[in-house]
Amino acid sequence: MAEVRYYDIRCVRGEITLVDIDNGVVESAGTSFFDKAVIRVLGSKGWGVLTRDHVDIDSKREVERLVEAAARLAAVTEDHLDLADAPRGVLPVPPLGEDPRDVDLEEKTRLLAGIEEAARVAGVGNTRARYTEGIDAVRFLDSSGNEYSYEAVRSGFSVVAIASRDGVMQMGSERDHITTGFNLRNKQEFGRKAGEVAVSLLDAKIPKGGTKRAVLDPELAGVFTHEAVGHASEGDLVREGASVLGGKIGERIGCAGLVIVDDPSLPEFGFIPVDAEGVAVERTEIVRDGILSSYLHNRETLAAVGNGVPGHARSEHGAPPIVRMSNTFIENGDAAYDEILEECRDGILLIGSRGGQVDPGRGVFQFNAEYGYFIENGEKAGMVRDVSLSGEILSTLHNIVLIGNDRKMSPGYCGKGGQSVPVSDGAPHLLLENATIGGRGE
Amino acid sequence: MNGDDLIERILREGERRADEVEVFYARGLSVATEIKKGILGNAEESEAWNVAVRTVKDGRIGFSATSDPDRWKECLDAALASGRLATPQQWGGFPKPADLAGTPSAADGDLVVAVEDAARMVGELLSGAAEHPVEVVGGGADLARSYLAVANSSGVFYGMDRTVAAVSLETIREQSTGYEFDASPFLADIDARSVGEQAASLAARSLGGRDIKTGRYDVVLSPVAAASLLGQVLLPALSGRNVKAGRSFLADKVGEQVFDERLSVYDDPFAPGLGSTAFDAEGVPTRRLVFVEQGVLRRFAYDLKTGYRYGEGSTGSAVRFGSEGPGIGVHNLFIDGPQVKEPGDERAIWIHDVVGAHTANPFSGDFSVEISNPFWMEGGEPVEPIRTAMLSGNVFEMLGGIGGLGNDSRRVGRLTIPSIRLNNQQIIGK
Repeated sequence: MAEVRYYDIRCVRGEITLVDIDNGVVESAGTSFFDKAVIRVLGSKGWGVLTRDHVDIDSKREVERLVEAAARLAAVTEDHLDLADAPRGVLPVPPLGEDPRDVDLEEKTRLLAGIEEAARVAGVGNTRARYTEGIDAVRFLDSSGNEYSYEAVRSGFSVVAIASRDGVMQMGSERDHITTGFNLRNKQEFGRKAGEVAVSLLDAKIPKGGTKRAVLDPELAGVFTHEAVGHASEGDLVREGASVLGGKIGERIGCAGLVIVDDPSLPEFGFIPVDAEGVAVERTEIVRDGILSSYLHNRETLAAVGNGVPGHARSEHGAPPIVRMSNTFIENGDAAYDEILEECRDGILLIGSRGGQVDPGRGVFQFNAEYGYFIENGEKAGMVRDVSLSGEILSTLHNIVLIGNDRKMSPGYCGKGGQSVPVSDGAPHLLLENATIGGRGE
Repeated sequence: MNGDDLIERILREGERRADEVEVFYARGLSVATEIKKGILGNAEESEAWNVAVRTVKDGRIGFSATSDPDRWKECLDAALASGRLATPQQWGGFPKPADLAGTPSAADGDLVVAVEDAARMVGELLSGAAEHPVEVVGGGADLARSYLAVANSSGVFYGMDRTVAAVSLETIREQSTGYEFDASPFLADIDARSVGEQAASLAARSLGGRDIKTGRYDVVLSPVAAASLLGQVLLPALSGRNVKAGRSFLADKVGEQVFDERLSVYDDPFAPGLGSTAFDAEGVPTRRLVFVEQGVLRRFAYDLKTGYRYGEGSTGSAVRFGSEGPGIGVHNLFIDGPQVKEPGDERAIWIHDVVGAHTANPFSGDFSVEISNPFWMEGGEPVEPIRTAMLSGNVFEMLGGIGGLGNDSRRVGRLTIPSIRLNNQQIIGK
């Protein structure tokens, strides 16, 4: 039999409930079921990984058979990996306010329809809302005798409104997802806001691209933190030589007072009670007062790279764990919002996020705002649309001039290595100097 | 219980409780090898199994799926329960058995799903990359084989095999990165060594790029960059559902000249490709669909539900991803037209890829993205790297007047597309 230095098995059995309402029509409202297991074996060199449906984790014979099959895969690997020791432990899962399983599908559909209907303000031609609920029962065991199980419940919705006039089509969208209970009651204001934004964007201007001062709202500043710093601090990218932050621990990478944190233990949308390798999770300060202080690690990258905190391995159900963020944010500074606008004088205020992407090796990121406003003489002026921000990781963090005192977290999903996991990110309002703004306006 | 028995059982049980029932079944085996630190790091093998059930009762469509064979009854119950909540609609029944019009080209009889073969492809990727002074930071090779079946209570029972061979490689030199990939149903199509060489060449040649001033320039989007932007904007605009819901820029424009007269857009489900198939994801025979012919918009894509709802009829365009229900998509989409060796030989900026294509506005077509591996191009050849910049524009306007198409068509996922020259585009420098 091939050598087995370590193995673990992670099973996730669960249900996904989706409700999709498109322009008042209930397109679908139903529940699907899955039961997936990932078996990893560390052979004499690297990992052999098996993915299977419906594994009986309590059957010793089945586990032995799977471990042996994974060990045969591991035998073809050439990269010698070791695992660092890491603290074990499981946090209590935050209590559920209202358990989504206690609410029947009909009521969920009715509540979602209320949000969708609220988006249909005058001028809006199309609305769509989706409810997503995930119930995951997770079981983990490894060859070192660690075992844990927990249940994760996620519930939330998104709503999109589209307004059009004279061939111009604009969109407003809102979403809210939580891990602490049922999240569809009294949320019509999200629908209304999506509708109102879509309509007001019809009159918005497209900004001219170029270098400007920019104020980022807490949601966009959160995505900026995630894309511009979070990914580049992930230990796997650092180990492979694919991050511009490699070898920079202890160096100043941002302005004084800048503190950037990833904290899987916060009861936000990226919460995990224990990581996907059975490692205890804790708050990790990636940047302390402008200095790069920690990478995010799993056991393998901690052993290879050092300088950081384990407990950041995450996986989508049915996929092997990789180093990922959870709840990522910039800590509050002391500037008030009005002070930030005033200090900006002339520039642009960017609000909300349509997502972003980073090339961490090149150190370049890009992301898009949902909309924004010109800032003229320190005050909010006309609305802008289709505006994005790009920059270089190593210079942008030095360009933060003011850090607000009004941090807010926003839920989302992060894609990496073909896997999508729930995360949250946030920040207070930020003032950036020399921001590269993309827009096709003349 | 094998797949066919299970399908029959769900159909029989479902028919008792609904007007109609449909089963979509998929099982697959795949291996993946992942490169770490320039050598083979992980080896992975996946076995997957999935059943998706749709029921129809009084025009109400229910759906559920499961990856657990023991829960098929629960899954059928859940489909019926979800159908009770769906808004009833015009429905003309699941398709009846028909002669399939063409032969798909989606499976390679010689492709073996073996980790040793994937490991050999990794060796070829790495030997290609070794031709340039770069570090390999990631990538890998995958081999997969799957079997799909669609069956319904009207007597349809179609099955097919699919195979996939895929490679990718990611390289770096200082702060200059390169990424290349290829995927095909046919192992012989994949030249892993050349993919490795290309990925390394991009990183090596992009080193030392110079800044560029903000302004308007002629650009050439490589097939990869063009596929990223168009995939994000053009595909949703061709969906009949978005058209009827008022979410498509192209709605109400059938018969109009919407794009440059050199551009045609068509779906060929019988061409070799990752989406090649003779029946769609709900058992409707597929056919060649011309969406845009020499710039004139001809039609949109429909599935059964949208087709019945609006009296348009299905175009055989239903697709499924993962364990979700069917939606409208494309099988093998071609963007084509008269191609020249060099898409215009005037000096231009050649753009290999873009960062953030998914942030484009799918309704308006507006985008501004960071560009990857841009070069000054002269006489059709990239000659001098540019450091970094953004490209801003509107996909629909761009396609309204192109500067020409290159003769370098390649497959990028389900799209086959050449490089596209676009004159006078907005570039934002640093």
